[in-house]
Amino acid sequence: MNLFQPEPRGAHTPRPTLRSDEPQGEVEKGSMALLEVENLSVTYAPRDAPVTRAVQDVSFRIREGEFVGLLGESGCGKSTLGNGILRLLSPPARISGGRVVLDGVDLTGADEERLRGLRWTNLSTVFQSSMNSLNPVLRIEAQFAETFAAHRVGEEVGARVVELLRMVSLDPGVLRAYPHELSGGMRQRVALALALALRPRLVLLDEPTTGLDVVVQRNILDRLATLRHELGFAVLFISHDLGTVLEMADRVMVMYAGEIVEDRPAPDLVREAQHPYTRGLLGSYADPRSAEVRVSYIPGRPPDLSVEQPGCRFTPRCPYAEDACGQRRPELRPDDGGLVRCLVAQDGRLPRTPAGAGPGLPVFVGFPAAAGLDRSADPPPEQAVGDPVLLVDDVTKRYTTRRGLRTTSVDAVRGVSLALRPGRVTALVGQSGSGKTTIARLVTGVERPTSGQVRFTAADSTTEVRVDRLRGRALRDYRRHVQMIFQDPFSALNPTRTVGYALSRPLVNYHGLRGPAVRERAAELLESVGLAPAGQFLDKLPHQLSGGQRQRVVTARALAPEPEILIADEPVSMLDVSIRAEILELLGKLVRTRRLAMLYITHDLLSARLLADEVLVLNHGDLVEQGPTLEVVGAARDDYTRLLLDSIPNPFSAARRPG
Amino acid sequence: MSTPVPAVRAPGADTEAVQVATRVLGRGTRLPGWFVILWRNGKCRLGLLMLAGFVLVAIFAPVIGRYDPRDDDFDTSAGPSAAHWLGTTALGEDVFAQLVFGARTSLVVGIAAGLLCTVIGLVVGLTAGYLGGWLDEVLSFFINLGLVVPALPLMVTLAAYSPVRGLTLIILVISVTGWAYGARIKRSQIITLRTRDYITAARFAGDRTARIIAHEIVPNMTSLIVVGFMGAALGAIGGEAGLAFLGLGDPQTVSWGTMLNQASLGGALLSGQWAWLIAPGAALALLITSFTLINFGIDALSNPHLRED
Amino acid sequence: MLYFVRRFAFFVATLWAAVTLNFLIPRLQPGDPAEAIVSRLAGRNEAIDPAQVRAVRIMLGAPDGSLLEQYVQYLGAVARGDFGVSYSYFPYSVTHMIGQTLLWTVILVGVTQVISFVVGTLLGTWAAYRRNSRVDSIITLGSTFLGTLPFFWLALLLIYVFAITLRWFPERGGYGGGSTPGWSWLFVSDAIQHSVLPATALLITGPIGWIIGMRNNMVQSLGEDHARLALARGLPRRRIALTYGARLAILPNVTGFAIALGGILGGTVLVESVFNYPGMGRLLLEAVSNRDFPLMQAIFLFTTIGVLVANFLADVLYGVLDPRVRRAEST
Ligand SMILES: Nc1ncnc2c1ncn2[C@@H]1O[C@H](COP(=O)(O)OP(=O)(O)O)[C@@H](O)[C@H]1O
Ligand code: SF4
Ligand SMILES: [Mg+2]
Repeated sequence: MNLFQPEPRGAHTPRPTLRSDEPQGEVEKGSMALLEVENLSVTYAPRDAPVTRAVQDVSFRIREGEFVGLLGESGCGKSTLGNGILRLLSPPARISGGRVVLDGVDLTGADEERLRGLRWTNLSTVFQSSMNSLNPVLRIEAQFAETFAAHRVGEEVGARVVELLRMVSLDPGVLRAYPHELSGGMRQRVALALALALRPRLVLLDEPTTGLDVVVQRNILDRLATLRHELGFAVLFISHDLGTVLEMADRVMVMYAGEIVEDRPAPDLVREAQHPYTRGLLGSYADPRSAEVRVSYIPGRPPDLSVEQPGCRFTPRCPYAEDACGQRRPELRPDDGGLVRCLVAQDGRLPRTPAGAGPGLPVFVGFPAAAGLDRSADPPPEQAVGDPVLLVDDVTKRYTTRRGLRTTSVDAVRGVSLALRPGRVTALVGQSGSGKTTIARLVTGVERPTSGQVRFTAADSTTEVRVDRLRGRALRDYRRHVQMIFQDPFSALNPTRTVGYALSRPLVNYHGLRGPAVRERAAELLESVGLAPAGQFLDKLPHQLSGGQRQRVVTARALAPEPEILIADEPVSMLDVSIRAEILELLGKLVRTRRLAMLYITHDLLSARLLADEVLVLNHGDLVEQGPTLEVVGAARDDYTRLLLDSIPNPFSAARRPG
Repeated sequence: MSTPVPAVRAPGADTEAVQVATRVLGRGTRLPGWFVILWRNGKCRLGLLMLAGFVLVAIFAPVIGRYDPRDDDFDTSAGPSAAHWLGTTALGEDVFAQLVFGARTSLVVGIAAGLLCTVIGLVVGLTAGYLGGWLDEVLSFFINLGLVVPALPLMVTLAAYSPVRGLTLIILVISVTGWAYGARIKRSQIITLRTRDYITAARFAGDRTARIIAHEIVPNMTSLIVVGFMGAALGAIGGEAGLAFLGLGDPQTVSWGTMLNQASLGGALLSGQWAWLIAPGAALALLITSFTLINFGIDALSNPHLRED
Repeated sequence: MLYFVRRFAFFVATLWAAVTLNFLIPRLQPGDPAEAIVSRLAGRNEAIDPAQVRAVRIMLGAPDGSLLEQYVQYLGAVARGDFGVSYSYFPYSVTHMIGQTLLWTVILVGVTQVISFVVGTLLGTWAAYRRNSRVDSIITLGSTFLGTLPFFWLALLLIYVFAITLRWFPERGGYGGGSTPGWSWLFVSDAIQHSVLPATALLITGPIGWIIGMRNNMVQSLGEDHARLALARGLPRRRIALTYGARLAILPNVTGFAIALGGILGGTVLVESVFNYPGMGRLLLEAVSNRDFPLMQAIFLFTTIGVLVANFLADVLYGVLDPRVRRAEST
């Protein structure tokens, strides 16, 4: 077992790969596990809502030094399970059954003093948002100090804290800082250092890098891998992000609707996932650098856990479902090298992964493939590319902020030029703060450039509109031609207004429709974004829709004025991985059939690869690279672009490992 | 707009959630949704019933009170009797009649000043919060000023200057000193709401500012507005009672404050007329209790931390 | 640093606004304010004392000048602390009269409010620490119930029970007829005797706001991630309650204090009126009933300035206690 030996760093992948070559999926009975979870169930029993069984009958073990991933869509109970293990559940949640045994001690039955002694010395954690997980009025050093004090560690605390910070590549200067003075990435590193302060044997990480930039995420993941290697603690790594989990973990457990549905060593999982849900998740991922990229999605949404459901919970979404699935509940049973909860798989009747697929391109039978994407592989003939509808010409935007007497100015965007053409998608890629949204604001006329021009020419006219000079009425008229799709579908629809109302506004304002015509047109729009029958949706309030359905409504609203340009600002980043491809497919189809010009803003290179014809890479306001998608993603010339690409977690590195 | 951060529920999300709940509940019935929600809460229901009782008493005061509250033809400073359930004042007026008519004054002042405060607060808060910029700076300054200036001394000074001290004046004085708190809360709520993407979306859908405020923002604040009204009405009832107790009320109107003022001046303490002393205070306390109970229901709804168990 | 500068600027601006408001109030009525006031005095069928007319003129400043001249003169007078002559206590100056009463009110309000804040904060912390226990319900329900009782009525009941019926404490006033004001033991003990009931009236309702505010804030901060992480870190429960609960929950109460102070002064006016206590509140009421406008206005200005100073101090304290606001920008 070479778990504790450093491997030589590869020339092109500057991250250590720390994996055991041994299959670790099945835990032999009798071997001493560090953590044993036995039949754990957690229920939420709120006062004014039905009881939700968020975690049901979950059992697993984690061995000393093992790195276990817990994967699943949001809402499937991962955090609840994590909090159950940490004994951090508070009403209305409670453990309704089962045990958590850590190193022979039953945590579920332990009294408070006993528990307090075990906490952090044996089991520590990092929460998703370290924004709120540090005390805002205590300096970082005080938070380290109180941790040591609580466990009576007195000697050489100062030197140890500095050492801990060095481990997470932080300067000792942060000790004097308050949490709000640090960036998100720094805070998360502080949280990691704090988690390691007492040399715990098991660290539970709940989405530790979700919400951080890819480059920052890469950094933290690399530190984590190295530290785990040096210190030998075990990890339970919770995430909805397939890429990170598969890259980091030795063994992966997949959770769906409160149950573990598959449990298997990471390389095996990539190569031969046995549960249909896992396959669906894998199908939604692809390596953007591959020559050919195809993704699929899982239609539908996870079940409502407050409703008892006989049979397999994945049945409504499962392409392999049979009659028996709806009646008989599958057990989590061992199969070769792992555990799986699927009747068909247990019978060995699941179709095999196509042999030719190979790593980086898993295509599973049954899941709907997102069609109409990846147009860059086959560029449209020159004549099909129309004249640009919008030109951004050498635009600079400088923001000047006054703080008391000091003024500081930042160039959010510097000398950027781009063109949007009908039927084409232009992707704007970069880290947060790189100026992507500023460009969107300039294009929509919300902001005016400090210098440079933004010019718009409607398809049916030859007159040019100077967007950078619009105001008042003219600006409102212009918006008819430029519409937006937002990042957060929960915030993009007014919670107190029906879908029908949201769609009616542009129809009334821009097309002058009145009376029943509005409703008719709204229904047509809904059907054009795949919400049929429309009558069923028109009177719904947003909270009655799933995230994906909301994003479709938002899209329908953007289409209502019949715009020439669509600005989509991270339209899928808040959606579950399993349905992202579904929305991307819709957007791709609309662009082509309606000859829309789309500015697609994203930090995610995979979705850019799937949707865009052209990619622009922004770094701190500068355009560093620009070109056809395949060229930029496949053969990046700029260092920054390469850094972005190298930062993407690669789940298939697991498959490439010998095993 | 561009950072890929999962939704962190900002403050204000809660009032949106309440609004959704009220929409949903209101659908099946003909009653407004917020009422259905309040009615379902036990404490709140008790408060609503008590308030309804006061309203009925105020409406039917002439019937219930039996005498004219200003009629001073009776024995002076008499104790409770069958003819005068709570005795008579030092001037020979019927205490019970005064008590009953006092409910009118309190409710009228509470509702009128409550409405006025809510309207001022809404206009100032909406303008400051939605438009922002220098206008916000100026209005916020006035809001903060309104918050820190001591209300009762200001009321006293204003009331002292006015030649006639009618009920209208009292209502105005109370509103002038009482609008700021609601305005502040509404302003911060709007600042949260206006950054919502659906506001941007409405602008892209061609809606004008006035329509956006009326149709996109205000519907997400109705519970806040109701709470604000309740608070302002409560403050106004207390303020009127205080002013009247200090002898600065409308001398023509019977109110619980003037009753206590007269009980205190007329020697209710020394003559042992406890009913004259207890009744108006207890009535005031009960009215305040009913408001407090109703607010419990609203609070518990909009603040999930205080909600369960 | 910017935070403190901004708070100071706000303090100065509100001070100016309060002074200006005070200047405007008597001029809000139509016509010549001096004449209106004098005629109001005359309307009471009493002979007009020329001294009163003079006092009104002084209060209003340059009566024949333009509004601007009046304003400038007024500002000068305020800066010098010259508020003219009280005409109900002629020939004493307004400043002298306020000086007579200031200490009574400051001590009564100061002592009761400090006690209220401390007691309220402690009870609120206790209730939140023992959330959903018997202690919690007793504290919250009890304070909610007391909070509904009208304050001046409570004061009357106190007099009725403890002064008239039980005769434990003197009924009214700040000191007995037998003692003369001064720093003698006899006088001080007499004054304390007299202040027990007014202080009790203020103390019954004083802590309520702090209790409820503290409890709710603390319940909230204990539900947040940093408190949960502190629990996971194995910190003792008591320490979490203090540094992750109370320490954060007290912050909104510090700013709340400034806003509450205006209301507290209102309460003081009522209490002083009920107990005939020789403080500024009673002086204000006397000024009102004697139509002593210069005195009335000066008292209003003094109380407002007092509140503004307290507000500024609370802001400074808040800045010291909360590292986050020192960087925050908006007011
Ligand atoms: N406070 C709560 N009250 C009621 N149900 C909740 C609460 N928090 C989470 N749930 C439910 O528990 C389930 C699992 O949630 P969670 O553990 O957060 O999932 P994950 O971490 O996988 O996203 C969901 O169905 C969710 O609706
Ligand atoms: S049991 Fe049936 S429905 Fe469930 S995952 Fe397996 S095949 Fe699909
Ligand atoms: Mg989670």
